[in-house]
Amino acid sequence: MLELRDISLAITDRVLVHPFSLAVAAGDIVTLMGPSGSGKSSILSYIGGDLLEAFTAKGDVVLNGQSLLLQPPETRHIGRLFQDDLLFPHMTVGENLLFAVPRLPKAERLTMVTTALERAELTGFADRPPHTLSGGQRQRVALMRALLAKPSAILLDEPFSKLDKSLRGQMRDYVFSHIKARAIPALLVTHDRKDAPIGGRVLEISNEGVVRDV
Amino acid sequence: MGGFARNRLVKALRSGLMQAVRRYLGAAPLVLLFLLPLALSLILLLRGLVDIQASQALFQHPQFSGALKLTLFTGITSTAASLMLAVMITSQNHRNILQQASVFLSVPHLALAMGLGFLIAPTGLLARLIAALFTGWTLPPHWQTTQDSFGFALIAALVLKETPFLVWAMASVMQQDELKQRFARETIVALSLGHGLHASFMRIVLPQVLQRSLWPIIAVFSYGMTVVDMALVIGPTQPPTLAQLVWTDLNDGEVLANARGAAGTLVLSGLIISALAMIFLVLRITRPLQRQWMTLAARPEIRSTVPARIIWPIWAIIYALVIVAMALQSFSALWPFPDLVAPHFTTTAWARLLQDASPFWTSVVIAIVTSCLALVAVIAWLETQSQARDRIALAAATAMLCLPALLVALGQYRLLLLVGGTGTWVGLLFAHVLSVTAYMLVMLTGSYRAFDPHWQSASRGLGASRLTFLSKVKWPMMKASLLSSLAIGFAVSIAQFVPAQLAAAGRFSTLPMEAVTLSSGGNRALIAVYALVLMALPLIAFQLSSWASRPRWRTA
Repeated sequence: MLELRDISLAITDRVLVHPFSLAVAAGDIVTLMGPSGSGKSSILSYIGGDLLEAFTAKGDVVLNGQSLLLQPPETRHIGRLFQDDLLFPHMTVGENLLFAVPRLPKAERLTMVTTALERAELTGFADRPPHTLSGGQRQRVALMRALLAKPSAILLDEPFSKLDKSLRGQMRDYVFSHIKARAIPALLVTHDRKDAPIGGRVLEISNEGVVRDV
Repeated sequence: MGGFARNRLVKALRSGLMQAVRRYLGAAPLVLLFLLPLALSLILLLRGLVDIQASQALFQHPQFSGALKLTLFTGITSTAASLMLAVMITSQNHRNILQQASVFLSVPHLALAMGLGFLIAPTGLLARLIAALFTGWTLPPHWQTTQDSFGFALIAALVLKETPFLVWAMASVMQQDELKQRFARETIVALSLGHGLHASFMRIVLPQVLQRSLWPIIAVFSYGMTVVDMALVIGPTQPPTLAQLVWTDLNDGEVLANARGAAGTLVLSGLIISALAMIFLVLRITRPLQRQWMTLAARPEIRSTVPARIIWPIWAIIYALVIVAMALQSFSALWPFPDLVAPHFTTTAWARLLQDASPFWTSVVIAIVTSCLALVAVIAWLETQSQARDRIALAAATAMLCLPALLVALGQYRLLLLVGGTGTWVGLLFAHVLSVTAYMLVMLTGSYRAFDPHWQSASRGLGASRLTFLSKVKWPMMKASLLSSLAIGFAVSIAQFVPAQLAAAGRFSTLPMEAVTLSSGGNRALIAVYALVLMALPLIAFQLSSWASRPRWRTA
C-alpha cells in the first residue's frame, strides 16, 4: 500500500497543488491527471526522492506502513517509468536488465534477465544496443528493467505519450497486466484520459491546484 | 522573348558566381592562415623520415635510455593522475565549474611550472611556512623538489595544469543541454533501481562522458610526453626527458645534432602512438571485465564524498599559493631562509622588466594580432562554408592539438626555412598563429553552429541584409563566445614557446623565451616577475572578455 498524506507542492511561494491524501492498494493503478505544469510529475519526484530544489513539498509518503521521507532514493524501492525509455545507451539490452537485478549468485541473475527478455517478447535481443530497437520494444525493456529491481511500488510518468497511437493501446495493456501480476501499487501521471486503466480510480489536479476524483 | 531568357540566364549565372566567389573568399583566410601551412608542415616532416644515421646517433646517445624511461614515466603518470582527479572532481556538483576551470586553463604551462618552483623549492614558500609553523628549521630542508631525477616535480606541475583542462572538457560534455537532462534522468532511473549516487555516476554517467572526451585525454597525454618549456624549468636534468634531449639537439647549430633532433622528434611521436595503441589494446582486452563491473548488482553505499568534494577547492588554494610565492619573490632581492617575507622589498626586478620591455611588447602585439586574425578566419569560414565542411577544419584543428607539439613545430620550422621566413616578423607570427587558430576553431565551432537559424529568417523577414543581420543580431548575440574565444586565442599565443623559439632564430625574444632563458640563471626576483607577467596577461584578457560580454541587463 502506497499512501500520500496531506501532500502539497509549491514553487517559490506559489502553491501548485493544495494538500491532498491518497492511498493506492497493492495491485491498483491510480491515475493522476492534470495540465502540463500542474505539478503532477513533481509529485512523483517527491515520492521517488528526487524533487528539484526549486520546489517545496510537504506531507508524508508511506509505503507499506513506513515513511519514506528520510530515505534516499536508492533505498525507497520505488520503480520509475518515464516518457523516454531511458535505457542506458552505452549498455546492451541485456546489460540494462542485468544492471537492475539485485545481488544474487551470478547464474540466477542471468536467468532473471533471460526470463525478463522472454516477458518483453524480445528473446535473443540481449546483445543488441538499445538504439536498434523500436520505441515500443524499448519501452517494454524499460518496464522489465524497473520490475527486475523488485520494487514495492511503481510510478509511471506519461510512459505512453511518445508512442504511436497504434501502439499505445497494446502498450497500456502490456504495462498494466505486468504491474497487476506483481501486485504492487502503481501511480500513473498523464494528461490523456485515455491512458487511465478502465475502472481504475482517476484524480485530477484542477487549474486552482485542487485534487479531486473525476 | 530571347532577351528575357538570356537575362534570366545571366542573372542565374551571376548569382551562382557570387555564391561561388563568396564561398572561396570565405574559405581563403582559414586555408591560407591554417589549413595550408599545417598541411605543408606535416608534409615536410616526411622529408628524411627515416634517417638511419641520425636515429643510430640518437640511440647511442648516453642519456637516451634514461630519457626514454623518464618520458614514459612522467607522461603516463601525469595523464593517469590528472584523469583520476578530474573524474573525482566532476563526480561532484560544483556550481560554475566551467568558468572556474577556464580560469585555470588560461594560466600558461610555463608560468605555472616557474611559480610552482617558488612554492616547493627548498627555499620556497612552502618550506618557509613549515619552518615558521611547525619545525623551526633554520636551514633549507634537503629537498630535491624541483628538477628531481624521477620527474615528480614535472608530474606535479603537469597534473596541476592538465586536471582543470580535463575537468573543463568533461564538464562541457556534461553540461550540453540535452545530455545534462538525459544524465539527470538516467541517474534517477539508476537510483530507483537501488544503485547509490556514486555507482550511478561511475557506471552510467562517466562511461558516456569519457567516450566523448577521448580527444582531450589524448591531447593531455601527447602534451605530457612532449612538453619542453615546463620540463626545462622544473623537470629532471641528468638525464632529462626525451623532449628536452630533442630540444637541445634541434637548437644546436650543427647539422648532425639537428638531424638527431629531428629523428628524436619522430621517435617521440612513434612512442606516443605505440603507447596509445597499448592502452587501447588493454582497454579492449579488459572490456568483458569493464562490462561485468558496470552491471554489478546494487549494494548499499557508505562512502564519504568529502575527499572528492574538497579536491576542487584545493586547486584554487594551490594556485593562490603559487601566485603569492611568485609575488613575494618578485619584490625580494635578498631573502634569507626561514623568513616568511624578505627583510626589504624592492622593485628592482620590475624596473628591469620595464627597461627591457621588448619581449613583453613582442608577445602582446603578436597575441593581439594572431587572435584577431584567427577570429576573422574562423568566422569567415563558419559563415560561408557548409556544416559538412566543419569536419575538415575540426579534424585539422584536432590533429594540431593531439599531435606532439614538437613534431608540428619541427614541420613549421622546416616550412619557414624553406621560404626563408626564420628570424622575420611574419615568420614569428606564423609560428604563433597555427595553435591559436586550432584552439579558436575548436572553441567556436560548436556555439557558432548552435546559433538558432530562426533568427536569420526573422531578420530577413524584417528586410535586414545579411551584413545587418550579422552585425546587429548574430554577432551581438554571440558576443560572449566570440570574446571568450578571442581571450583563449590570446592566452594560447602568449604561452607559445617551442615554435616561437625555432622561428625567432635568435632575432626576437618573447616572454616565454625570455622566461626560459632567465630560469637557468640565478636572478630569482626577475624570474618571478616574468612568471607573474606570463600568468597575468591571459587572466587579464579573460577578465576583459567577461567584463565586455556582461549582459546589458539582468533577466528576471
